[in-house]
Amino acid sequence: MEKYLYLSLIPESLIASQLPPEEFGNYYAVGTRKRSRGQAIFFEVEPGFPSEGISWDVMEQRTVPHPDGRLKRSVYLSVYRVLERVPLEALKKLYLVTDDGRVLGLDKAEYLQDATRSLHLYQEFCPMTPRVVSNLAPQEFCKQITNPANSISVPKIVFCELALEKLARDPEATEIGDLPYRNIGHLRDCLRELLTKTDKTTKQVDRALSGEVLYRTVKNGFFVGDGEDMLYYPLPPREQLEREYYEWWRSALTTFID
Amino acid sequence: MENIQPIFWLVPVTSVIALAFAWFFFRQMKASDEGTETMRKIAGHVRAGALAYLTQQYKIVGIVFVVITLVFAWLAYGLGVQNGWVPFAFLTGGFFSGLAGFFGMKTATYASNRAAQAASKSLNAGLRLAFRSGAVMGLVVVGLALADISVWFLILNSFVTDADPQHKMLVITTIMLTFGMGASLQALFARVGGGIFTKAADVGADLVGKVEAGIPEDDPRNPATIADNVGDNVGDVAGMGADLYESYAGSILATAALGAAAFLSNAELQLSAVIAPMLIGSVGTLLSIVGIFMVRTKEGANMKQLMGALNTGINGSSLLITIASFFILKMLGFENYLGLWASVVTGLATGILIGKATEYYTSHAYRPTQRIAEQAKTGPATVIIGGLGEGMISVLPPVFFVVVGTLLSYGFTTGWNFAADTLSMGLYGIGIAAVGMLSTLGITLATDAYGPIADNAGGNAEMSHLPPEVRKRTDALDALGNTTAATGKGFAIGSAALTALALLASYVEEIKIAYSHIEKTKLEGILHKVGFDTVEQAQKASLVEFMEAYEVHLMNPKVLVGLFIGVMMAFLFCGLTMNAVGRAASYMVDEVRRQFREIAGIMEGKAEPDYARCVQISTKAAQHEMLLPASLAVIVPVAIGLLLGVPGVLGLLGGALAGGFSLAVMMANAGGAWDNAKKYIEEGHLGGKGSSAHKAAVIGDTVGDPFKDTSGPSLNILIKLMTMVSIVVAGVTVTYSIF
Repeated sequence: MEKYLYLSLIPESLIASQLPPEEFGNYYAVGTRKRSRGQAIFFEVEPGFPSEGISWDVMEQRTVPHPDGRLKRSVYLSVYRVLERVPLEALKKLYLVTDDGRVLGLDKAEYLQDATRSLHLYQEFCPMTPRVVSNLAPQEFCKQITNPANSISVPKIVFCELALEKLARDPEATEIGDLPYRNIGHLRDCLRELLTKTDKTTKQVDRALSGEVLYRTVKNGFFVGDGEDMLYYPLPPREQLEREYYEWWRSALTTFID
Repeated sequence: MENIQPIFWLVPVTSVIALAFAWFFFRQMKASDEGTETMRKIAGHVRAGALAYLTQQYKIVGIVFVVITLVFAWLAYGLGVQNGWVPFAFLTGGFFSGLAGFFGMKTATYASNRAAQAASKSLNAGLRLAFRSGAVMGLVVVGLALADISVWFLILNSFVTDADPQHKMLVITTIMLTFGMGASLQALFARVGGGIFTKAADVGADLVGKVEAGIPEDDPRNPATIADNVGDNVGDVAGMGADLYESYAGSILATAALGAAAFLSNAELQLSAVIAPMLIGSVGTLLSIVGIFMVRTKEGANMKQLMGALNTGINGSSLLITIASFFILKMLGFENYLGLWASVVTGLATGILIGKATEYYTSHAYRPTQRIAEQAKTGPATVIIGGLGEGMISVLPPVFFVVVGTLLSYGFTTGWNFAADTLSMGLYGIGIAAVGMLSTLGITLATDAYGPIADNAGGNAEMSHLPPEVRKRTDALDALGNTTAATGKGFAIGSAALTALALLASYVEEIKIAYSHIEKTKLEGILHKVGFDTVEQAQKASLVEFMEAYEVHLMNPKVLVGLFIGVMMAFLFCGLTMNAVGRAASYMVDEVRRQFREIAGIMEGKAEPDYARCVQISTKAAQHEMLLPASLAVIVPVAIGLLLGVPGVLGLLGGALAGGFSLAVMMANAGGAWDNAKKYIEEGHLGGKGSSAHKAAVIGDTVGDPFKDTSGPSLNILIKLMTMVSIVVAGVTVTYSIF
């Protein structure tokens, strides 16, 4: 019987399961019966990497079917400081799950940095979940935030860039109809501060992720990195989502932020 | 038959032509491609659900009709206070109204998957199929109404005996009004029952599916999704069919009755006045068929061209009936044919203007709806406050247009003479305006019924996982339907107000005729009480003299009490139907939650929900909940008549008309504006989909659902049903009233 290993980002945890990614994502979002609902983002991980505190024996022993033959859905292997212990090479596909359990798998791809300079809005997912604006491009941002030489840093980070549309160049822009962020006034203040204070590279907009992420606001894709190394998981373009992943896309559009 | 002018035969011939074209379009639609197996299966589920609902509804309504018919039979043959034809006319009105709704629903449920399949070829193919399917209902409604009217006219003309031919015509037309009561009662049940069903399913599906489970609309995992689609057919199609059958027949019958009263001194002109509304309806129907064929577009047409094609059909047939009615009225020999023709034009213009006002207040292309959307930035409370405010303000233009239309049609017909002796003629002009407004119902209803078909086609495309370009086309067809429906609503609302106004005068005529049935000893007392010496004197009294005799003036407490109760009835009825939707939706919420809990694998798409159970729940709740509000509409006019007599009843009807009309416009427009405010945000304004503004707008839309689809549309029927009931039981009122 096949066993799978998943690194969940909301909340951070390492979970073994007998369910393949799509089924696991559905189960993780809505449970076995429709009593709960919640967005999920997780990586499929190649098990067996050397890591202190993660017992592969436990995974082998406990990830077995129930006595009645039902597959074991989840065996939690670790729930604290997990991301930093999983090497980037062990990460396989990234899965985005909508709150009603539709699952979209993203493959890794090479990240080609946009040459034009603009402001960025980043949503961090792990190990912490602030939303920040920055004048650094994703690769530079990843490097800076995971640089142990900095007074504030994390060993590894998962984040995505969110759409700013016209605000990316002009914090005063008025045509921002499709941006759903709460308190746009505060967002503008943060962007203005980045433009006026040349020594500042990042500015926190929200201390923590409250509620859920609207996948439609993801600008290009998801990033995971530590120092020089960064993996990029691009989200397919909107036309492709509408055509090939319509059920996931439609469900993603139904999500509400609180 | 010898007294009937040959031109009258155009009415039954037109009804046959209309029904033949309806059959032709139906066969054409049935012969088109049904789509994939999944599309057929989904359409089959919806069709079975709609049929199950209507079967159950007709059983209950059938029982109510049998009981009321027996009461009428007892009043007519037992107590002798009513004409003996009334029970039969009442039954046929109800039967044909139900039949019109049934055929419309049947066509719509066959058309949804075919329209989706046609849309997979082109936008134009989708529009043609959906529009022609809508035309089936339009033509069935007018065809059945004209058939019912002409057959009854011929029967009564042959069997009613009266030495005075003018009085005979008065009797015939007032008896025919009672089939209007049957149609109104059937329509009220269809609108209220269908409205409760559709909104219980819609709100239930949204609350658990969208809000709790995060499932998108029309997702097959939602157990209530089929019930939601069934609801579109039983509420928006069957309910609307029965409703407009009643409006159409009611306006013709009320005008015929007013014509018989207005031209009492001239037998030939009286007959012309009676058949004039029928002829305008007939020619309007023929021109509607011409208009339907004028709706043509080239392959690859865009939205603007499709809208243009629909407008060509509607405007073309309106223009043609404007020209044709001039010749009809001239040919019938009316001295004031120009004035009557101007009333027809006034009616058409009033309908168009109300439609434009409706569009202005409900479309998100205009500021009122955009203002509501902007209120969403500060949460659901301000959305609801904004919607109510805009809805209330939106009452101004329709009331203004109806008021001006009423005065103009009165003035044109009487030569701007507002003296007391012109009252009957002026009211006839108002009736003719209402008939003019509805004369092209064949095509305006086609554009109205096309909307739910396009909506269901979208649902079918969604559930069948058709490619995105097909869904975009069905969405475009749906959007087109929403715009054209605004005009249709304008005609329905405006005609309801004018017809109800005309029916008030018919009530007085019915009282005069009722005197003929009352026992002599009782009658003497009744006449003495109101100051008439003989029946002849009472029957020859003008409307103004009659009002004076019964002391129908604002200083009479009976009138004032009636007015208060009439306005209150509109609110009570709305409250009852709104609460009914809330209760029925809660049953649906419980069931959807239960299915998610107990049927493992729904969310994974491994197990199919029990769709039929949700249809059953909505059906049962709708049947249970519709009885009280519908019964009140019948019982209150009778009770007020018994307690407060004629002045009380006229006060009641006046209050219900003025209060109910304004409330109906407010509810329909507020509901429509909330819906479109949500769509405006979904198009990418104010944060777009998923934003907190969107969430607030979704709540506004949910509140507005029963406003625009249950309570609002039912109010028009309530107003007319109460008037029809009062007319039918006029004999009981004058005989047994306590005060």
